[in-house]
Amino acid sequence: MDIGTTGVAARTVEGVKVYGAGDLEVRALDRINVSFDAGRFTAIMGPSGSGKSTLLHCIAGLDELTSGDAYIGEQRLGALSEKQLTLLRRQKVGFIFQSFNLIPTLDARENITLPLDIAGDDVDKEWFDTVVATMGLGDRLTHRPNELSGGQQQRVAAARALVSRPEIVFADEPSGNLDSKATDELLSFMRRAADEFGQTIVMVTHDPMAAAFADKVVFLADGICIDEMAAPTADSILDHMKSMGG
Amino acid sequence: MLKMSWKGVLAHKVRLGLTGLAIVLGVAFISGSFVFTDRMSSAFDDLFAGSTDGIDLVIQEGGSLGFTAGKVPEEILDQVLAVEGVSQAIPTVQGFAQMIDKDGEPIGGSGPPTFGFSIDAADFETTMTSFVEGRLPESGEAMIDVFTARANGFEVGDSVDVIFTTGVETLEIVGTIGFGDADNMLGATVVALDLSDAQRLMGYQGAYASISVVADPGADLDQLRSALQQAVADPDVEVVLAADELAEQLEQVDTVLGFFNTFLVAIGAIALFVAAFLISNTFRIIVSQRTRELALLRAVGATGRQVTVIVVLEAFIVGVIASAIGIGVGVLLAVGIQGGLEAFGISFPSGGLVVKFRTVAFGMGFGVFFTMISAIIPAVRASRVPPVAALRETAVGFSKPLRKRVIAGVAITSVGLVMLFAGLFGSFSKALLVMGIGAGLTFIGVAVIAPFFSRGFGRIFGAPLPRMFGVTGRLAQENAVRKPRRMAATASALMIGVALVSILAVLAASAKTTIKGAVEDEVIAEYQIEARGFADPTSTGVSPALKASLATVPGVEFVSSYRVGPYLEEGGSTTLYLAAVDDVLDKVIRWDVLSGSYADLAPGKVMVDADWAADKGIGVGDTVTIEPREGHPVDFAVAATFSSDLFQGVPIVMSLADFEQYYSLGLEAMVMLKLADGVDAEAIRPALETLVDEYPNVELSNAAEYVAKTAGQVDTFLNILTALLGLAIFIALMGIMNTLALSIFERKREIGLLRAVGMTRRQVRRMIRWEAILIAVFGAVIGLVVGSLLGIAIVYGIGSGLVLTMPLGTLAGYAVFAAIGGFLASLWPSYSGARTDLLEAISFE
Ligand SMILES: Nc1ncnc2c1ncn2[C@@H]1O[C@H](COP(=O)(O)OP(=O)(O)O)[C@@H](O)[C@H]1O
Ligand SMILES: [Mg+2]
Repeated sequence: MDIGTTGVAARTVEGVKVYGAGDLEVRALDRINVSFDAGRFTAIMGPSGSGKSTLLHCIAGLDELTSGDAYIGEQRLGALSEKQLTLLRRQKVGFIFQSFNLIPTLDARENITLPLDIAGDDVDKEWFDTVVATMGLGDRLTHRPNELSGGQQQRVAAARALVSRPEIVFADEPSGNLDSKATDELLSFMRRAADEFGQTIVMVTHDPMAAAFADKVVFLADGICIDEMAAPTADSILDHMKSMGG
Repeated sequence: MLKMSWKGVLAHKVRLGLTGLAIVLGVAFISGSFVFTDRMSSAFDDLFAGSTDGIDLVIQEGGSLGFTAGKVPEEILDQVLAVEGVSQAIPTVQGFAQMIDKDGEPIGGSGPPTFGFSIDAADFETTMTSFVEGRLPESGEAMIDVFTARANGFEVGDSVDVIFTTGVETLEIVGTIGFGDADNMLGATVVALDLSDAQRLMGYQGAYASISVVADPGADLDQLRSALQQAVADPDVEVVLAADELAEQLEQVDTVLGFFNTFLVAIGAIALFVAAFLISNTFRIIVSQRTRELALLRAVGATGRQVTVIVVLEAFIVGVIASAIGIGVGVLLAVGIQGGLEAFGISFPSGGLVVKFRTVAFGMGFGVFFTMISAIIPAVRASRVPPVAALRETAVGFSKPLRKRVIAGVAITSVGLVMLFAGLFGSFSKALLVMGIGAGLTFIGVAVIAPFFSRGFGRIFGAPLPRMFGVTGRLAQENAVRKPRRMAATASALMIGVALVSILAVLAASAKTTIKGAVEDEVIAEYQIEARGFADPTSTGVSPALKASLATVPGVEFVSSYRVGPYLEEGGSTTLYLAAVDDVLDKVIRWDVLSGSYADLAPGKVMVDADWAADKGIGVGDTVTIEPREGHPVDFAVAATFSSDLFQGVPIVMSLADFEQYYSLGLEAMVMLKLADGVDAEAIRPALETLVDEYPNVELSNAAEYVAKTAGQVDTFLNILTALLGLAIFIALMGIMNTLALSIFERKREIGLLRAVGMTRRQVRRMIRWEAILIAVFGAVIGLVVGSLLGIAIVYGIGSGLVLTMPLGTLAGYAVFAAIGGFLASLWPSYSGARTDLLEAISFE
């Protein structure tokens, strides 16, 4: 892995996130330093409560660090106003959540173009078609979310995350609610997005099979980054987890 | 189970709070009007009781209607004094008297009466009239009420111009009087005169209005009454116990206050009816949001019935608390109104507000009834939540096919309409109640059908939104209609208020057109003179002295006039109005005399409205019996039948000579001028104005000005009613706010998602705002349609020459106002929606 040639898409420096106060204080992130390479597909793994989602939220501009800094590209998020953060998410970031990714009143096409429509930007027709074709959604565009299967819904969400050509896409357990076939489809599409479009993707997962689709796995525990693994496979991840657990 | 309900209420404090506020407002209005009218009533009690405190018997001309007094011949005084047991006999005269302030403007005259009476030293002992300063008046002098003196800067020693029926008189102020500890008599302005001046100026030559008798101590009043009645030879003069007379007067006042109160309570009930929609909607939403909780109850063994009871009890708790607060606010409201009236110069006798049991019962009853009734449907739905719903993530939708709804809605609407029109045009007891229930059912029926139109409406009226605001507008449009029932229920609340004001607008516009047409078609006179502003023609008007002086202006061919007086049908109790005309009124007003002839009108004869006569099956030559004074029927021969748009609602026209015999009010309701041929109406006007200016309580107008003035009065009525209905509209807007807030709460995750993918707070606010405006406009549009249709039906139903006119501008204005209302209602929900916690919204538990 050569960081020098690909550059860093997002990173944190001594990131701390504290919830609550006094006895109830929880340090979800504890001076964490982590960076995500541009053009790569990175997976974040760790036990439940280790701070994966918190990290994702803070680095994506959905939440603020208590101290330390988070960057997207060279932009320090702490320096931005609420409004600027919103615009940053709109222009530079794509999201895929575990569930409730789509607006129920809009059809699939409208859901995909939602960030562009909100911004009032024109949809790049060619790119839209490419993304939709890649996601295999061509015949589903006029369906509303309740007419789509869970897997299709997540692919629509993935298409939405890609269609505005964000600098980075964040996904928090996107396959958490999917069966294995749908999971496989979704992750293959994400893999192709990284390979074919050079899309930077950061994905939280607790599933080694899912993480195996990534270029690199970052392991979190108790709010810090304890290890990284390049070119992972499901077996190597499992072994690694066992060694950590033991 | 009460405990469960109580917890339910606590858990939904905020959501129920707004609902409760709607109840508070409605109940406050109702209880406030009770407390206030009770206060008015007790003020009148004090006034009248005090006004006859030391008096035992009253001698007066038999019967009375309203405030018009009869005449007792002077010679009776001596006959009375001669009767054994009479300690004092105080003759009194009272009548119209209106003061003119130092700027030449009339004082009072639109509302409380402006009157004068004779004053005697004994009055300070025997009546409520209290001496403040100065001395009793002699001829050419007057005492006036303290309030008027202070408000207009009059001091003892100043002179004041006073308009009497006989003309304007300049009097010297020699003292001031009060009434008990109040500065005036509930806003009436009073001029107290020397007895002979009072007789001369108020048209009581050789007569009194009444004689008050104080009996010797220990005298038997019933015996004295019989003795006096025997001593008084005149059969028209009666002797009554002061207490009986008082009771009768109070009864009349209470009847008037009763109408006033019923009217205000009706407005309050409308507000609560609208609130019921809001409550129903809130409970429905809460129930659907609590599906899992209720299902859990079912799963652990609660019966469906128990679930229903829990929800209904919740409504009960909300209803009781809100009604209690409402009653409290109502009392404050009454205090506020009294304070406001006092600031406007209506002084109340001392004595606090009373909250009667009846007030509390009505307020509580209405408030709790409407709350519980509206919670019943949601409560029954709650009982249908299956236990398994506890395990499911999504809320269970309860939906009946829309087709069934439409059939039900049409049926309810039809029944409502039948009752509405039966009540409106039928003459049976409780007609008003039937009409009210009919109107209520009509609105409910329309509300039941409304969801059928939600989507179509949203598609058509929401169409510009995506074009204007892209996806934000598209989402606003979609959100407004995504729950057609909820949207319809919310909009229907507004529909009711808008429909009611639309009906009024249609009626008012039609009335104005009709008046304009009537004046243009029927008035021949170039000028008319009439009291300014809103004047009651049975208590104020144009002095005959002015009429006489106008007749002498060169260029005036002749002057005519008519008067208006109250009467009862034989044995009836509803006050009706008749007109009295001189023998040339048919030359200034075009009458359509259908049988007989105008010239046949003479003492003992009347002209009657042709439709009225046809209803009664009478014609020329027949006899009609009416009571110009209560309990004193008089027969009149029908001399002619007429049809007149100007005299619409005045079925009987008598001669001026008869009028002067039966009524003591010596003022013309309207004086009309016919100019000689070839006289330029504009050129002569300054000469006329000079004379009219001496009587600042009246004004000269030509046909166009008269039409404009009347139209202005219709508009004032319309505005007052519309303002009162504003309460219902306000509550409906609160409903929009509440529904919106609840919907936003349901859509927290959705909004969070939108924010996550880059929607700015400003865009979120815009999305919510336009959703609210769409809902409001939906309500307004149904309201306008329903209101216009009902208005048209009523205009045709009333018939009698009413010309239908649609006030399109006004109606369009209502739609715009509704949109603005929707915008205002969206302020808080959109603000809080925009602050939706992004993470809470998108994080998955
Ligand atoms: N809003 C919050 N308030 C308080 N504590 C929180 C909140 N969100 C997360 N936490 C705590 O922070 C820690 C990390 O949470 P999270 O980032 O969601 O972990 P993960 O996604 O790895 O399971 C946990 O201990 C969790 O309980
Ligand atoms: Mg997580």
